[in-house]
Amino acid sequence: MSLNPSKIRGDFPIFQRKINNNPLIYFDNAATTQKPIQVIDSIKNFYEKYNANVHRAVYSLSQEATELYEDSREKIAKFINAEPSEIIFTRGTTEAINLIAYSWGLDNLKQNDEILLTEMEHHSNLIPWEIISKRTEAITKYVKINENSTINLKDFENKLSTKTKIVSISHVSNVTGVINDIKNISKITHENNSLILIDGAQSVPHMKVDVKELDIDFLAFSAHKMLGPTGIGALYCKKKNFETMGPFQGGGEMIKNVNFNSKIQKPEIQWNSPPWKFEAGTPNIAGSIGFMEAVKYLDSIGIEKVSSYEKDLTKYALNRIKECKKTIVYGPLDTSIKCGIISFNVQGLSSHDVALFADTFGIMIRSGYHCAQPLHQVIKLQSSARASFYIYNTIEEIDRFVEVLKEIEQF
Amino acid sequence: MDLQELINISRIPLPYSQKVIDLFRNPKNQGKMKNPTVIAVAGNPACGDMITFYMKINDQEVIEKITFESYGCAANIATASIVTEMVNGLNLKDTWKELSWKKVVEEVGGLPNVKSHCGILAVGAVKRGIRKYYQQKGLVPNWIPRGLTSEEKQALEEEELAEKLSKK
Ligand SMILES: Cc1ncc(COP(=O)(O)O)c(C=O)c1O
Ligand code: FES
Repeated sequence: MSLNPSKIRGDFPIFQRKINNNPLIYFDNAATTQKPIQVIDSIKNFYEKYNANVHRAVYSLSQEATELYEDSREKIAKFINAEPSEIIFTRGTTEAINLIAYSWGLDNLKQNDEILLTEMEHHSNLIPWEIISKRTEAITKYVKINENSTINLKDFENKLSTKTKIVSISHVSNVTGVINDIKNISKITHENNSLILIDGAQSVPHMKVDVKELDIDFLAFSAHKMLGPTGIGALYCKKKNFETMGPFQGGGEMIKNVNFNSKIQKPEIQWNSPPWKFEAGTPNIAGSIGFMEAVKYLDSIGIEKVSSYEKDLTKYALNRIKECKKTIVYGPLDTSIKCGIISFNVQGLSSHDVALFADTFGIMIRSGYHCAQPLHQVIKLQSSARASFYIYNTIEEIDRFVEVLKEIEQF
Repeated sequence: MDLQELINISRIPLPYSQKVIDLFRNPKNQGKMKNPTVIAVAGNPACGDMITFYMKINDQEVIEKITFESYGCAANIATASIVTEMVNGLNLKDTWKELSWKKVVEEVGGLPNVKSHCGILAVGAVKRGIRKYYQQKGLVPNWIPRGLTSEEKQALEEEELAEKLSKK
């Protein structure tokens, strides 16, 4: 295989842990990933050697902290082939999508405009638009998904109209792992003169995402799903779109000038230039440094290798799960259109019990609705169990998982 | 080797008591009922699972027959099964007084912490069913508290559940 998982595992202190007397097998990477020692150390190192606020003071320490913070922006920009000034730091994917919904949405949407979403969206790419739709009286529409959980392109083209102001869809489904053909969808969207936002929470960590090649307007992603810390993420925003975006939150850092006009007894405010205009208050500086280190870690392996290793694991797992006669896997089985996320159910058992039993063997898997209620309603499920992989998972772990799954089937 | 043996050998603490496992495998009073007096559907806000109780209640306000349907977990099925056995033949007032989450959990030999909410669902659903029975009749017995009990609050009606889940 193309990467060395045992060497990689050595970088992750958490794998020294035992859970219920078993070695930890962590298969909930779609929820969050584990952190390598390099990331953990970078945060510690920042607090021990560089801690100061950014952009505020003339003294050396603040200059150094600012430099690190901006280095991080540059590193993350490069990772997705963007300009540093096109990267806004957020708390994560959710806040990034909310930022667009509020900053762009409130200023640009009006009654009867349309927001086009799909039935496979995570709540974080659904609720913000429903909120904005209520406020602006714009209408949300949902593109259907096919039986194999891919987007129904015909329905997409049917629902796209001159009223569609923005299309907001996930790159990879967090339930089925389906990879959407964003390049094509983006082309169709732009021919229609609409904007396109991509929820990259499940794609950026696992595959090459090039914002120029995909030609998208906005991309949201979270550090914690790609080896980085929680509480930080990024929003890519194509430069030309900044002109149409009002401020998001107000506070320090996002303003250039505030002059108190004594005639009108009010401050006159001049916004800072983007991306800082959208980063009000003291940012998550240590988080950004951990984020940078996570990207460096992925770069040192090579994101293409990450992709192909995960595909190998997924192919192997799907093949072996066939041995489990009572287990039903959802979504496509073709790994050319699917990432390392496998949703399944064991006949006669609640997904919560499957997860509970797996836990007694030290295997961490998710159960429930995975924050994508509409999709579950569409594929008519109560809930499902989900195993999702990353670079530190191994063939041996999958073998163990299949062995345990066979036992669970006997319950 | 089945799970039970494997667990014995590897000394892994089984998450469920033997009683829960037995009831899950052979639940009592499971299935739909023809012409019930009350149908109580309730959903668990913690996991999204649903349960339905069917009750036949006679003129003396006694539960003559009670069945359930559940697609929930083993803890849910086992507690629902126990509840049907506990209340069968009781009048509604005694049912309301007798039935508590604590008692049900004791009856099934305990539940793992992460599963306590599953037992509350069955109790809450039956209490909602009793409330519904009196609402249908336009009666308000004084032993039913005005506000929802904490158990009923953990057993949401379908629309409430859908709304709750969409916010998660
Ligand atoms: C597809 C998708 N979008 C958005 C999110 C939300 O990410 P976060 O919670 O980091 O903001 C997730 C993560 O659960 C996800 O899987
Ligand atoms: S997990 Fe849903 S009822 Fe137990």
